[in-house]
Parts: sequence; structure tokens; C-alpha cells
Amino acid sequence: MSDLILDPAAHEQGLGTAELFVEEIPPLTALATRAGLDVVAAADWPEPGDEELPKLAGFVHSSFNPLVAATAGRCLQRRAESAPPAVTAIVLVTSTGDAASAAHVAGAVDAGGRIGPLFFFQSVPNAVAGHVAAKWGLTGPVVCVDSTDAGLDVARLLLADGDAGEVLVVLLEQATVPEAITGTSHDTASAVVVVERGTA
Amino acid sequence: MTATMTVRRGPGEVVLTGAAVLSAFGRGMTALADGLDAGTPAFQPVDRFDVTGRRVGVAAAMPGSPVLADELVRVVDEACDEAKLSTAERAGAPLFLALHGDPALARVAEADRRRHSSTAFTAALAGGTGLAGDLPLGAGIRAYTSACVAASTAVADAAAAIARGELDRIVVAGGYLVDADQFSLFDAGRALSTDGQVRPFSDGRRGLLLGDGAGAVVVESATAARERGVPALARLAGWGRAGDAYHPCQPHPEGHGLARAITAALQRAGIGAGDLGYVNAHGSGTAQSDAAEATALRTALGEHAATVPVSSTKSLHGQALEASGVLELIVTLHALRTGRLPVNAGFLAADEHCPLNLVLDGFTAATPSYALSLNAAFGGANTALLVGSA
Repeated sequence: MSDLILDPAAHEQGLGTAELFVEEIPPLTALATRAGLDVVAAADWPEPGDEELPKLAGFVHSSFNPLVAATAGRCLQRRAESAPPAVTAIVLVTSTGDAASAAHVAGAVDAGGRIGPLFFFQSVPNAVAGHVAAKWGLTGPVVCVDSTDAGLDVARLLLADGDAGEVLVVLLEQATVPEAITGTSHDTASAVVVVERGTA
Repeated sequence: MTATMTVRRGPGEVVLTGAAVLSAFGRGMTALADGLDAGTPAFQPVDRFDVTGRRVGVAAAMPGSPVLADELVRVVDEACDEAKLSTAERAGAPLFLALHGDPALARVAEADRRRHSSTAFTAALAGGTGLAGDLPLGAGIRAYTSACVAASTAVADAAAAIARGELDRIVVAGGYLVDADQFSLFDAGRALSTDGQVRPFSDGRRGLLLGDGAGAVVVESATAARERGVPALARLAGWGRAGDAYHPCQPHPEGHGLARAITAALQRAGIGAGDLGYVNAHGSGTAQSDAAEATALRTALGEHAATVPVSSTKSLHGQALEASGVLELIVTLHALRTGRLPVNAGFLAADEHCPLNLVLDGFTAATPSYALSLNAAFGGANTALLVGSA
């Protein structure tokens, strides 16, 4: 996506360390800009130098929840410290949710086995969104949708109607190569913090 | 301290012009209305799948094994027919669908998961009901997977877009049918009531029970509906959604997010708490959640929280997860249109942490001008939908 050009206004406001990776602009950043939003912070997982995804206490089995938490946290850390306090919404974009955990639960159910209680707590994508919201004090709406277009449109309306002053959008991308073949997850995530154009 | 903002909305009036439903009481509005009026909970031993070894074996499920995709087609078709949408109007209307996911997803090969994404499932429903066909790819269909606020969030987002004049109408649907996987997860999480009943806001409440639910509503611009000569079932007068920022799956003990969602809905409707005639509560029947909700109602409604009639109809039809928002919006619509406020079943004794005016002795006759439908979910997500007489 190196042919995509950042919105000049957004660029002036700074994208934190994401500026270091202008040659590899995350598609989410470009799409948010195209949707008429100003991007005030952006992050990916993985980024150059990333190795092992940090574990996330209370969440087990798959990379889904740790990916959301790591990417969201990285993105939120890149917001300008001088930014005024604002109500922040979180919009999580995932087309399948945590399919690996769902498959594990289905296998246990079909075998008549016991299911660990932690799988209950992580059975919906809202749970990790709530983890991120609690850790970072995000008091805006919590929304999970299936596509980037939908997520950015939800964000746009929440900002326009004053439900939030900024929106953290986190996109989970399922790997095209199944984990079963490579033995490891190649799922990736991108995140942006967006505000109404011209308000940053 | 929690940051607050002043909410806004577009100037357009938003109405509901079609509604259709499935619940544990059966298919259709008449079955649901009869069940609500009778006030007898629909909880029965589960025979849809094996519950051997589970702590609990009860849910509010229809007989047999209904298929989610088929039931969603039926409710969407019915709602669109009630709204008298032409073929062309259907093709121009987006579909917002609230669901946990494609029920097949967890059992397909990993390489096939994309074909069973929520997007693919929603696209198939749109195709099967003639919705969104004329809209650009990506603009016409959307899936909401935000757990127990999925459907209510979809309704709020639809209302926001229509009030701003961006669209004439959006069809919002939601569906959850009691299944072995979610049942087992809730059982493992010790969330299910162990005495066979759901007792919202009551002393001695023991938790929730799952229930079947599917519903669809046509959310429309009042102007567009008038121009088509289609009567409104009710006005969607206000809406609000806010987060607790507290815990992955527990509500804020003082219901901070829910209180702000209610306040936002009242502000958008331009009414005061004293104008409310009924609250269909989230009322899951769990100890913490009900107490938090009662506190949220006190915060948002002030002294009126002690007098406005409140019931949680989860005590009758169960917890329909992602479909709750649309099922309970339709229950609220029933209360508003018939003046019969459904009972808060399962009540044993007052809980000092829930000082509410619960509807306890069968359905109560009333003439509410405004009624509120509340939902809360994992992640500290909260919604409030406010309907007003047409």
C-alpha cells in the first residue's frame, strides 16, 4: 500500500512513530483517511522488530485476544500526550471473531468434554474490547462489526453525533495460510485512533 | 472522573414501520404477545441437544431444532412486508444483522472459515430477502457481533444515519437460537440459574437462562414513510450507547455506562425522565448486573426511577444474546402499542439494592407515551433505545 498518500493535515498533526513506517502505511490508516476521518495514531502487529506476541492474562488458546490488546495498546500509547481528555469509543472489526477458540469449544462439546470457564469469558469479541476499555479508561461505546467499511462508518457517526470525541478502531486480519499448516498463527492486526476531520 | 460529552443527532424523525419476531413462545407477534400477557415463563428442560453433565439443563427454546438462517429470512420478509417495501425499496435498503456468527463456523475446516464469516452469512441473508442488492459492495450489509448489545447497537446506528438524512431506511435483524456451544460456555461460566427460573431484581436471583430469539425491524425516516403512505408503528425517539471502562465481562457496579446511555437517549428524544411510562430492563437476573442496572436507573432518572414501571422480560423469554436488542425492542413496542406492560416474572422478595417499581402482578394496563429498552453486554457495553407513540 506504499502508493497511498497520507492526508496532509493528518500528517502535520503527527502519527507518532507510525511516521517511521510511511513506506508501509497500514491499509486501515489509508481507509480511515479516505472515509473522511483524521488519524491521530496508528499501529500494527507485527511491526518491524516484533517477535513474540505478549501473552494476555485471563485469555487463553488463540492469538485473537492478545493481538487486539497489543495492537490497541501500542496505538493508544502513540496518541499525543497533550491531547485533551475525551470520551473514546472502541470499534473492533473481525469477520469471524475468535474462530480458533470457537473450534476448540465445539470440539470439547462434541466429545462430551469439559470446557474451561475462561472460554466463557472470551466467547465474544466484546470481552477483549472491554479489557482494552478498562485498561485505558475508554468510556465510549463498545462496538464489534464484521468489516472495515462498517467499522469506519460506525466511528464516523459516533464522532458526528457526540457519542465519542475519538474512536479506537482495531482490525483483526485472519491469515490466509491456516494455522494448521504452518503450526503458528499468522493473524495480524491494525489499529487507528480517529477523530472528526479538522478537530485534532 | 468519567468524561462526558453532549450528544447530538440529525434533525430527521425516525420511525419503525415493520417488525417481526420469533421467541420461545413461537413464531410471530401473536405468539409473543400471548406469552407476555399470560406471564408464564417459557423455560423447559432442553431436548435440542445433550445436556448430560451440565450443571443446568433448562432454557426457553421452541420445540424442535429451528435453523437460524431460515428463521431470519422469515422475520426479515415479514418485517419488510409489514412496512410495505417494494422490491426496489428492498434492493435499496441496507441490512444490519446482529448475530454471534455463522452457526457452522466452529465446525468447518480452518481453510473454509472465511466462507463462513459473519459477512458471508449476512450477504446470504440479504440475497435471500432481496435486500441491499442495488447498493455498492461494503455499503449494503453489516454484521454486528457485540454480544448482548449487538442488535440494539445496530438499531441505534441505523437511527443515527437516518436522522442525519443519509438513508431513508435500514432493515435491522438479529438472531440467536439456543445451541450446545453457547449453552455449554454459559454453563461452564456458572452464569446459568440453577433453580430453573430467571428472577430479575429479586432477592435470591441465581442467574440467567438462555432463550431463542430472532427479530427484524424496518427503521425508516418519518418523511419517507409518510411519502409512501405507510403508517409508523412507533417513533424511535432516542438512542444512546456508552461503555463502562471497568472489566472484560462484569458491569460497572454503579452502572456508569448504562446511566450515560439512558441519559443520551433521553437527550436525543428531548424528553425528561418523568415522561417515561415503561422501562424494559436488561435485567439478566444475575446478582451484580441487576444491582448495577438499578443504580444506573437511579442515576439517570432520579426520583422517577422509583415510580416508573420496570420489568425484565428475560424472566419470560430468556436471554437471547445477540438478538436480545431486537427481541426486547419488539416487546417494548408491544407494551407501548397495547398498553399492556409485561410482568417481571420469577420475583421472590424485594432486594434493597434494586428499589424499582417492578411490574409484578401479571401484566399491568397503562398508556405509556414513551418506553425505554435497555441492554448491557460483556465488555461493559450498554445501550438504551427509546420508543414513543406514533
